[in-house]
Amino acid sequence: MGVLYKEMEHIIDRQYEAEKAFLAEYEKGSYTIENPYVVVNPYLIAPLTALVMFEAEKPAFAKITVKGKDAAGDYMYRPASHMTHMVLPIYGLYDDYENTVVIELSTGETKELKIQTEAASEKLKKPTSMKTTPEYFGDSMMFVSPTSPAYTAAYDYAGDARWYNTLNLAFDLKRARNGRLFVGTDRLVAPPYHTTGIYEMGMIGKIYKEFRIPGGYHHDEWEMENGNILILSQILERGTVEDYCVMVDRETGEILKTWDHQEVLPVYPTGGSGSQDAHDWFHNNAVWYDKKTNSLTFSGRHQDIIINRDFETGKLNWIIGDPEGWPEDMQKYFFKPVGEGEFDWQYEQHACMVLPNGDIMCFDNGHWRSKVKENYWPAKDNFSRGVIYRINTDDMTIQQVWQYGKERGAEFFSTYICNCEYYEDGHYLVHSGGIGKKGDEYLNFPGASLVDEIESGEVQLSSITVEVKDDVVMYEMHLPANYYRAEKLHLYDEGDRLTFGKGQLLGHITATEEFMTEAPAEPAGMIPDDYKTKIAKEADRVVFKASFDKGTLVMLNLEGKNGTPTRHYFVPTTKRPFLAMCVGTFLEHDARAVEFPVGTENIPGEYEITVTVDDKKYETGVTLNV
Amino acid sequence: MLKEVNSVEFKELADKGLVLADFFSTTCGPCKMLGFVLKDVEKEFGDDLTILKVDFDQNKELTAEYSVAGYPTLILLKDGVEVKRLQGLQQKPMIVNMVKEAL
Repeated sequence: MGVLYKEMEHIIDRQYEAEKAFLAEYEKGSYTIENPYVVVNPYLIAPLTALVMFEAEKPAFAKITVKGKDAAGDYMYRPASHMTHMVLPIYGLYDDYENTVVIELSTGETKELKIQTEAASEKLKKPTSMKTTPEYFGDSMMFVSPTSPAYTAAYDYAGDARWYNTLNLAFDLKRARNGRLFVGTDRLVAPPYHTTGIYEMGMIGKIYKEFRIPGGYHHDEWEMENGNILILSQILERGTVEDYCVMVDRETGEILKTWDHQEVLPVYPTGGSGSQDAHDWFHNNAVWYDKKTNSLTFSGRHQDIIINRDFETGKLNWIIGDPEGWPEDMQKYFFKPVGEGEFDWQYEQHACMVLPNGDIMCFDNGHWRSKVKENYWPAKDNFSRGVIYRINTDDMTIQQVWQYGKERGAEFFSTYICNCEYYEDGHYLVHSGGIGKKGDEYLNFPGASLVDEIESGEVQLSSITVEVKDDVVMYEMHLPANYYRAEKLHLYDEGDRLTFGKGQLLGHITATEEFMTEAPAEPAGMIPDDYKTKIAKEADRVVFKASFDKGTLVMLNLEGKNGTPTRHYFVPTTKRPFLAMCVGTFLEHDARAVEFPVGTENIPGEYEITVTVDDKKYETGVTLNV
Repeated sequence: MLKEVNSVEFKELADKGLVLADFFSTTCGPCKMLGFVLKDVEKEFGDDLTILKVDFDQNKELTAEYSVAGYPTLILLKDGVEVKRLQGLQQKPMIVNMVKEAL
């Protein structure tokens, strides 16, 4: 077998090749509304989209209707253009189905097309329960992004998937101001789930930009009014994660400003939730910019706190959370509950938001639900909820003004992930996406890490997405997987216009930290097959995958040739006991599996790859030209 | 000096000058790597520093006494008093700087 080596084109390059190919094909023919050119899944990653192209006789507006499986499922939109050269994106197809698509031109011409789609794999999950009405939900779609094996997908009022994406997209998906989507990339920079950055992607699947961040991306991003993007990150080389935020220039991808939470908060073990460790002491899982106060609000799961910082200076303004156990000099930042109403602090929360009236909303996971270990709550007695707090920063008081989910108890309990959305006062989304059960027992840790147990059915993961209007449940979808967030969107957005040309790779991946000490080892020939070694080369990184017993000393060596210096990288084989496996979709079935990416942008040269395993150094037969 | 010690030997040496205690496990890749790093550190300081390697699994009382929660953990002692602690695999310059500050 030897070492499996392959060169992998970036998805932007693959899409550009595909685009050139279908445009060339189109140029060869003569297409009219009667005989249009149709390409299904034109950008390779969104199988329920298509592109229809033809030349109209006169400039016309188009109206597109993808016929539903019943009348309420019709998906109609009017691409905003007046032209003869028709480039019409088709959204909202069903999988494994002969779809009927009706194109009507303002000139009166009409064409009914049949578009057959392929069956999706089992990663396209089907809801186990869907309760809503087409009158309420209309032609909205509920987008969900997975943390266990499943696709990022969008479901209509009936629970039918009308869009999905085959990339292993991570974390948050949201609409950009230009109508496109922001979503975490599928390319790891550090295990278990820190990826290179975020994609700016059209609904048709075309990736226009990848914003790469030196420390990698996790959890959340936020678009400022001027288009620049706040992205949650970390400084990998200092050994901690999820405690750093950067603002990225929308045009160049360069970092314009940073906020380091280590500058305003005491680190481990201060304020630790039940899931805190020194490595992931804060676990920043959300960022929100509030224009009225020119401030940033961050959620830190592993200190059970929501913090607010001045946008310009980074100064800490306030903290929402249970103050028990925090040092005296930090107490001034905490609020004091007042009033007669019910009040619970939030624990290991997600998705903090500042509402238009200044209230603070979040998903209170409630995991452990205490600052004192002896008082931690078992899952069976616990609850998760959406909650709104009203804060007064003058007298530092706080009241709880709304909640949903506590009354549902353990069946709605998610130890991790989840979000809320605000539509208007009294109208909210509450998404409990991290529910797990083993038999009759509710899990008290993130189930996404249990790769084998999920596949065998020993562990069942689920997700419940609810919309509440004036305290009445108007929508409830159950899915048989864990989903990080839910976001209600329309498939079509006037701003999301397809433009041709190659997407851009912006920003930088950090140079992977080299290890200065070389482990002494004897040459031992080719690496044994037992280690199942795979090496993949991309434009900006090399990914080393192999399988080693826990505790094996492994170094990846790039042996420089022709004057290029040699570089050594320490490859961890001892799995860190991640207490917050927020995204398990990058995990392998083999518990011995190791994945180690090396950023190659700053290390040009020619290298032979060798691998040190304890006291032996093996050849791989792979030579790299970077 | 760099040597592996048990609890008794550790207590005999721990309060004598500058001592770097390395709580390690034989089942831990980073611990193995740190062992090679410490050999380099030893060369840098010679007799000015004593490096004592303590098997985490074999010396539970000692790990409890020093509140060592995981491995590898480095604890720098000056005349028996803890000066600094580092957790996880460290590069040579980080350790060298820590020791120089305590000299």
